Parts: sequence; C-alpha cells; structure tokens
Amino acid sequence: MYAALLSNRYLTSRLIPFIAIAAVALCVALVVTVVSVMTGFLNMLKDSGRQIVGDVIVSSGIGGMPYADEFVADLRGLTTVQGASALIDTIGLLRMPYPRGDQKEITHVQVWAVDAASLATVTDYANDLYWKPPANAAAAAALAADDPRRHLDASILEDGKSLVESRTGTPGIALGMHVSVGNARQRDGSYLPRFGWFMPDCDVTLTVVPVSGQGKIAEPREQIFPVVNEVQTGVYEVDKNRVYIPLKEGQRLLRLDEAPLFDLNAEPDSQGRYPVIGVTPARVTKLLVRAKSGISANALRDQVELAYQAFSKRIESDPSRSARMPEFVNVLTWEQQLRDLITPVEKEREMMRVLFSLIYLVCAGLILSIFWAIVIEKTRDIGILRSVGASRAGVLWIFLRYGFIIGTVGSALGVLMAWGVIRNINAIHEAIGSDAPRAIWIGTFVAAGFCALALVRTIWRGRLLAILLWLLGTSVLTLIATALALHHGTLIWDPSVYYFTIVPDQVDWTTAWSTALGGVLFSVIGAAIPAAKAADIDPVEALRYG
Amino acid sequence: MAKQPTPILSARGVRKTYVFGAIPVEVLRGADLDVSQGEWVAVLGSSGSGKSTLLHLMGGLDKPDRDGGTIRFQGTEVATTHGARLDLYRNREIGFVFQFYHLLPELNVLENAMLPAMVGHWFAQFSGRAVAARASASALLESFGLGHRLHHRPAQLSGGERQRVAIARALANSPRVLLADEPTGNLDVKTGEGILDLLSERHARGLTVVMVTHDPAVAARADRIVKLTDGRVEDEPPTASKPLKDNE
Ligand SMILES: Nc1ncnc2c1ncn2[C@@H]1O[C@H](COP(=O)(O)OP(=O)(O)OP(=O)(O)O)[C@@H](O)[C@H]1O
Ligand SMILES: [Mg+2]
Repeated sequence: MYAALLSNRYLTSRLIPFIAIAAVALCVALVVTVVSVMTGFLNMLKDSGRQIVGDVIVSSGIGGMPYADEFVADLRGLTTVQGASALIDTIGLLRMPYPRGDQKEITHVQVWAVDAASLATVTDYANDLYWKPPANAAAAAALAADDPRRHLDASILEDGKSLVESRTGTPGIALGMHVSVGNARQRDGSYLPRFGWFMPDCDVTLTVVPVSGQGKIAEPREQIFPVVNEVQTGVYEVDKNRVYIPLKEGQRLLRLDEAPLFDLNAEPDSQGRYPVIGVTPARVTKLLVRAKSGISANALRDQVELAYQAFSKRIESDPSRSARMPEFVNVLTWEQQLRDLITPVEKEREMMRVLFSLIYLVCAGLILSIFWAIVIEKTRDIGILRSVGASRAGVLWIFLRYGFIIGTVGSALGVLMAWGVIRNINAIHEAIGSDAPRAIWIGTFVAAGFCALALVRTIWRGRLLAILLWLLGTSVLTLIATALALHHGTLIWDPSVYYFTIVPDQVDWTTAWSTALGGVLFSVIGAAIPAAKAADIDPVEALRYG
Repeated sequence: MAKQPTPILSARGVRKTYVFGAIPVEVLRGADLDVSQGEWVAVLGSSGSGKSTLLHLMGGLDKPDRDGGTIRFQGTEVATTHGARLDLYRNREIGFVFQFYHLLPELNVLENAMLPAMVGHWFAQFSGRAVAARASASALLESFGLGHRLHHRPAQLSGGERQRVAIARALANSPRVLLADEPTGNLDVKTGEGILDLLSERHARGLTVVMVTHDPAVAARADRIVKLTDGRVEDEPPTASKPLKDNE
C-alpha cells in the first residue's frame, strides 16, 4: 500500500524517472534496430541464395554430364524434390551495343545456358525478370511518368521466360540487371535507361570458348543475341555478372551438343570423313535441384548423391550407351556453393554480435547506474521508512516496483521506436540519401534565430540556467540547420557495395522480446541492488545521507 | 513522597563506539537511564556528547556495541531484537521525532502523518483501516493547527509546521513512548514553545516522553532532567528555573 503510493509518487513527482525511461527506451531501440537489420540482411542473403541456385547443386567438370534429361527425370521422381533443371555454367565475353561508334565496350560475364522453363521451377528466374508491364492500373499509376515499364507489351515477359524473341523467333539473351551500364538505378529502386540505352531494344554479341573434355581449348565462337529481358535477383554480385541464354544455344556454342560419333580407327572416306558409329549425347555442367518445402538442403543433398550413384550405375551397365557418366561430380548445398558470398556476411554478423554485446553491456551499465543514482539519492527516505517500522522487504518492494514500471514502460517504448524505425528504414534511408528540403533547413535556421532572441532576453535578465539552455538550443539548432543546408544526399546502402538493393525492414521479434526483457531485468536489478543495500543498514546510517 | 512508577524503558550500561578512520571514539561508556511510565525525561548534554546516539539506541534505530549493555522496553530486550519484531517495535511502541524533521518530500502532510499507520498494516489489508487512519491523522493534524495544510508538501511548510507534522507522524500509531531529539533545536524560541506545549499536552494525557536537548530552558519543561557527560548519564539537580518546591 505505502509501497505503491511511494513508488507512484517517485515516478510522477520527479523528472529523473522520465530520463530513465528515455534511456531504457533508447538502449532497447538501438539494440533491436541494429540486430533486426543485420539478421534481416543475413536472412535475405540466405533466401536469395536459395532463390538463385535452388537447394542442391550438382556440378561436373568442364567435360560435362551426359543424359542430363534422364537424370533430371529421375530426380523429379524423388518425393523430396520440387524441381530440377540442367544448365551449362561457363564464362564469356559480351560485346555491348554501346558506345556509339566502332569501338564497342566488351565486358566479361558468367554465362548460364539454361532451360528457362525448368529453371523457373528451381529458382525465382521467372519472377526476377525485371521488364514487364504493370500488373494493373494501380501498379501503373504508381510508376514514375518516364518509367519505360509503362509502355511495355506483355510479350517482353514471355520472351524473357522462354529466352526466345517471339517477333523473329530468334534465341535471345537475358542480362543481369547490372551487366549493362544502360540501367540507371533510381532512388525508389526502379531503373531508367541511361543515355537512351534500353537493353531489350538492343542486340549483343556473346563469345564463348569451347573446351574439350581433355581441357583443350578450341576456336572461340560468337553469336549475336537479341536482349529479351533483364534479370534482377537482388544480389548485386549475380546481377552484375550473369547472362542467360537457351541451353541448346549454349551446348552448340560450346560443342557440348549432340554430335555424331566417328570411328577414328577406321579408314576415312574419300573426303577424309570417318565412318559414323553412333551419337555422343548432349552435355550439361550443372544440375540445380529444389527441395519441397520442409525438406532441408542437407537431407536433399544426400539423396541426390545416392540418386546420382544409382543413375551412374544404370548407364554403366547399359551397353547401348555411347557415353559414360563422369566418375566424380560435386554435390553441394546452396550454402556450400555460395560460401564465398555468405562467409563475409556471416563474419560481419559475428563481428556485429561482438560489438553489440558490448553495446548491450554499456546499455545495461547505463541503466544500472541511472537507477543507482536515483536510489542512492533516496537513501534518506529509506532511513525514514525504516525508522517508522517499514520492513526491509517493504522498502525493497518500493524500488522493485519502481524499476519494474520504468523498465516496462521504457522497453515498450523502445520496441515501439525500433518497430517504427525498422518498418520505415527504407524511407528513412531515402530521406538521408536525399538533399534536405529547403523549407526544413530554412525553418531550422528561423527556429535557431528565435532561440537567439530568447537568449538575448535571458542574458538581459541574468538567469544562468536559462542562458545556458537557450545558448545550447541556439547552437544545436544552428548546427543542425547548417548541416542540413550543406548535406548532399548519399545513399549509405549503396547497392554496388552491399549485395541487396533494399534494407531489410522486418523486426526480429526474438531479439525484440529478449532485449525488452533485458531492459526490464536490468532496471529492476539496478533499482534493487542499491535499495537492498540501503534497507540493510541501520536507519540512523541511512538518515545521515540527508 | 513521589510515586514509584515502573520503568517502561530502561538502558543499562550502554556502550557505543564509532570507529572514525582508525581511531575508535567511545561515545557512550556505560550509560544508564530508566524512564518510568508517564514520565517526561529531558537529556541534557553539550554538542557531541552522544545524546542523539543514546536516543537512537533506545528507539531501536541503531545498535549498541557488542556486549554493550542492555536496552529493555517493558522488560523485553530491544538491542538484540531484529527483523519483524524490531520493525514492530519501531512502528507501534515508539514514536521518534528528529531534529531535522525527516519528512518524505514526495508525500503531502496528511500522507506523511499516516505513514506509520500505512507501514504497520502492510500485511493486514490497510484499505480496511485507511478511513480510520486518515480520520485520526487529520484530526491530530487539525489539533496541531495544520488543518488547512493537509495537502501541502513538506517543502511548502515552515520549520515549526514541519516539526508538528513530524510529531503527528510519531503519534500516528499511539505509541507508548515518544523519543524526541532536539524537537525545538531548529526553531525560534516562540515556535519552540508551541512545540513544547504540544508535547506537554500529550504528556498530560499519559504519554511517556524522552527529550534530548542542549538547552536548559527547554529541559526545564520536563519532569526530570539527566545530564550526559563523558558517555555516562548523571542526575541533574533541579535548576533555578524549576524551583525545588515544584519537584517535591
Ligand atoms: N556514524 C558515525 N560515525 C562516526 N562518528 C559518529 C557517528 N555518529 C556520531 N558520531 C560521533 O559521535 C559523537 C556523538 O554524536 P551525537 O550525534 O550522539 O551527539 P549529540 O550529543 O547528539 O550532539 P548534537 O547536540 O550536536 O546533536 C559525535 O562526536 C559524533 O561525531
Ligand atoms: Mg544530536
């Protein structure tokens, strides 16, 4: 009863509890925001990793794997498999249509020769095609006036999905979004053609180098492809380097297609040709496999490995086959495959973890010391209470209640703040990235001016605290206004530095709850320790603090 | 012949040593004081003689040295009591008035005066008794001339008013004994007189009072005066201001 009365009075009749609440709220908000963004970042990386390569990747050497269609069919027969797709992964040179004139820019690319239809069952390929007309009127209205997507035909999406230019029937190429310099990223994440280079209107020339199974390099081969669409996986490393062409074209260019098998031991005919004794099957270098939801990549990996051994045995024991399966293939999960990409981020997160446990400790220390100061100041009150017969537990309860209320209110506000910041983090980032609106910095200067006037007035009246506060207000506002006026937007989250084009904006609720709990706990402990200490000494001792 | 009342509070051979830095200061060196039921005793002594120390020990607010004598309340040892029993002693049997009032700044006058009542009924649902406690506290404050001040904070009161609130607080649970440490020490003579009148009136109604002071004029209001010198209590012969015939 008196405990409730007193702790309520301590809460409401003084300024310091509000400072404590603000401190708890800021600490909680800080930790929740940063950990949420970092966790979101890693999750995004992992998610998009799967979106890009599926769950399990089977790769062979440069000579490739034959009979891929049959093995893919085998894989699709597994109950754990959602989809599988064969492809060739190689490197190539891409001659861009720009600049105007003869000297065209040439860039090196990672070439994926894919079966676009089955690739879409394993990765997010179909959804990642960037150029498509808006889905409905509302989406159209949301686009900028000069956004090329306003005027696109539905065929561009279909061409991207089939990798065929439907107008001419020619096999086409899809470029990663950042392969061409023609795509200028706008602040809202959309793209405008730079200098008029709208890639789907252009042709590019792709040069690849066939390599024989023995590692011999043959004459490079080139082909002109119309650009049918561009692909945005959201992972900058991929979007900067990768191009997609139809599997058949890739096999032909790399000499991995189906070919007659000649008997080199026989006598060549009059034109120098050896007799044909069969066909060598077409080959691929990679298989991507997607697990059904709920199946772990590691479990699927083991199954795929077994399936491959079984398949390989079957081919081996079939005398009608002209080719053998490679003895050794690499079966990796996407995490193993994308190690290069994931490791730095995981390292970064570990470092962040360490830094944040430090910040967490600092926050806890701050909360503890604030409460310590509050309660020590109340030691005399504790002496009074004890001298009129209040028990130790009763005194302790006042401050436990006090710490609990401050901790709870502060943590709740902190989580709320973090939630507000995280949900709007892209807009905030956007605002930081833009020049400050003129009205705002001029307004801040005006406010600073008013502070300066008030300062002059208080100097006249000679009130020291008021002078100090107005001086502080004037200088802080002037600084802010100057900074705003001079500030030129810089995007912190530059997509060419980070993997992603947007900042994760989901609150990590596990972190939020545990941090809030920590906030309450440290507030209670911070209040309880000095209160217990004060309740333990004789009332006379406590009264001497007056 | 003077009546021989039974001692309600008795200190025997009380010793208290403070260790100040490395030097132990023996403040009380075997002080004896018997206080009879209904008596008003004044403890005189110069500053630093240990008056407050003695009063604190008798009120259970501090502990004597180990083997430093006994303090009995109605025959029960106080010096070695602890825990809930000691809390109960401080709350019910004793009312303590400090030289510096020691009111809680966040509570108003009425709440300060009700504090012992609230504290004492921590477990026994205070709410049931709240109305009664509130009524008796405000009646007491009104009789002390503070009826118009009930909802003011201590900071808004004068020293004399604060001391009257402190006395009201000390009397809240109708204790048997009031221990007052220089209740007029910070007040001018006239205000001090008012406070002493209050005590005198309560004493007339049967309250036992032990009052500490260094002012012989103040001490003269008591039934009996003892003097604290060299850590011991001595009986003080009646002074001129209190003629012999009154003390017969
Ligand atoms: N906690 C303590 N630590 C060290 N010395 C103390 C402590 N409390 C009291 N003393 C010393 O004990 C002596 C007696 O103190 P006490 O307060 O009892 O004196 P007093 O007679 O009440 O004096 P005054 O008239 O000034 O109030 C003083 O010398 C004081 O300095
Ligand atoms: Mg004193």
